[in-house]
Amino acid sequence: MLRFAKISLLTVVCLLVVWILPWLYDLATSKRMNSPFVMYSAVAGDFLLTDNSVKPSVTTDLQGRVYDGRERDSLCPMFFYRQLLAQERLPDTLFGQPVTPRLLQQTNFTFRISPAELNATHVALYPLLESMPDRVDLAMPDDVFRITNRGLEFIDMETNRVNEEKSERFTDMLQRKDFCFPATQVVGNPTARKEYDEGYLLVDEAGHLFHLKQTCGRPYVRRIELPDSVKIDAMFLTEFPSHKTLAFFTDMRGDFYVLEAAEYQVHRVQIPQYDAHSCPMMIIGNMFDWTIRIDERSCTRFYAVNASDYTCIKSLTIDDEVLPADRMGRWLLPLRLRLLSPTHPQVSPRLGLSFNE
Amino acid sequence: MLKSLFYKEWLKTRRLLAGCLTVLVVLNLYCMLNVNHIVELKGAAHIWLVAITNDAVFVQMMQYVPLIIGILLAVAQYVPEMHQKRIKLTLHLPVSTTRSVGSMLLYGWVMLLVLYVLSVLLMSVWLHAVFASEIVMHILLTTLTWYVAGLLAYQLTAWICLEPTWKRRAWSIVVAAALLRMCFMTDKPEAYNGMLVVLLLLALICTTWPFISIQRFREGRQ
Repeated sequence: MLRFAKISLLTVVCLLVVWILPWLYDLATSKRMNSPFVMYSAVAGDFLLTDNSVKPSVTTDLQGRVYDGRERDSLCPMFFYRQLLAQERLPDTLFGQPVTPRLLQQTNFTFRISPAELNATHVALYPLLESMPDRVDLAMPDDVFRITNRGLEFIDMETNRVNEEKSERFTDMLQRKDFCFPATQVVGNPTARKEYDEGYLLVDEAGHLFHLKQTCGRPYVRRIELPDSVKIDAMFLTEFPSHKTLAFFTDMRGDFYVLEAAEYQVHRVQIPQYDAHSCPMMIIGNMFDWTIRIDERSCTRFYAVNASDYTCIKSLTIDDEVLPADRMGRWLLPLRLRLLSPTHPQVSPRLGLSFNE
Repeated sequence: MLKSLFYKEWLKTRRLLAGCLTVLVVLNLYCMLNVNHIVELKGAAHIWLVAITNDAVFVQMMQYVPLIIGILLAVAQYVPEMHQKRIKLTLHLPVSTTRSVGSMLLYGWVMLLVLYVLSVLLMSVWLHAVFASEIVMHILLTTLTWYVAGLLAYQLTAWICLEPTWKRRAWSIVVAAALLRMCFMTDKPEAYNGMLVVLLLLALICTTWPFISIQRFREGRQ
């Protein structure tokens, strides 16, 4: 036993060294990285890169042309419309379409996909809001639902008891629409701090997609047809003010799709495949185009996408800057043990080589 | 002989164990009253939604309590043994070192497990009165890491206390601190679900380390 004790102690100490030393090295050598703010300008027909690390900030396009703040605002009128409005420079027509501040406010959106949020463990209880409330504002409900092998169960939060009648009503409606219990995915935005409520998107045991919401206390269930080749991986309910989209989702191959609210039409966004579980994504959208940013392991990719047909207009890749200290660290401490990950909230031992990072 | 060794340990630790049990019960009651107070003021729906959407666990104040209990129990068991080298008497008993020291460690594990299981059961009962089983499991799975950390802390403290030299003891404290840090890397609920077995295995592996210290003691290291 003594031999086992000594070997195990030595092994644990070695593992602690490969955990703590690289962490200390990173802590001592960490530096702020200046990555530019990138946005596609439909007016310029090019990406604009704004360096905010210098004052005043400098904006350049990919051709090397330099713009000051006023010029940048004019080149991205949809994004900086409030600034243009304040300076009375907001055009009344853009690309032949009349625009108003209200229209721009409604069609603009910012959307983020965080792998850490996606990979987190959540409580499998879901508040179902009333999507057609009597009052203007949405209100949180008094019950939550769970999905079991038998059906949907609403639990009254005050009494901690199942509301049999309501559960039966919703279960019946789902069964009538051929829902195979249980659900493998339940996706929604359970908050009253939004303009409207679209309930939840459910993926059943058979992989079919359903839209569930509560309207005037009654269940609204709609089965959404997907192309045969599409198997949903990660899904996000959008609930943007424009009401144009219902959800974004990626499939098992990493293709990115838009589910439109009207007629539940599915469109593939013409960008390369990516893994939503490991790469953060951000979309800054307006009525004409979207700028999609995907942070990959060693670079950041940007795509300008047409907001009408989701075709890719332009793309840009910016390689991450590798500092000399980082490069040296990889040689000095080639073996690393990490317990935390920026993309997975679960603590778990991850042993790997620095060269693969 | 095992019974006598257990009795000796019981005499050393009974007051501390009673105190630890009281602390665990009082803290559980405090957390329960706190939750009931919020339910009374804002309604059950509010606290449910906070648990579901904000990942609140409501028993965060108990996070380091099992760890402290583990350390205190090990100190209560092994510091008197090392004081004036009283452990020599235990090592001279007509049983093997593995059996005598092993029974002391086993006593510690049993007592800690009894305390921790009682605490988890108590917590489970009052949580079930307010919350659905999903929320109760979410909270209990989060707290399990703290109890495993308590077992690990007990084992590492025993190893440190039984070490005869200060130089090696200081080095052991550094290793123990690093290992215990692993149990508190994040406050996110259920973040340790995949790591619980690893930590429990580590605590079991650490049960062998005090025997290194005992061996060094027998070799006359001062």
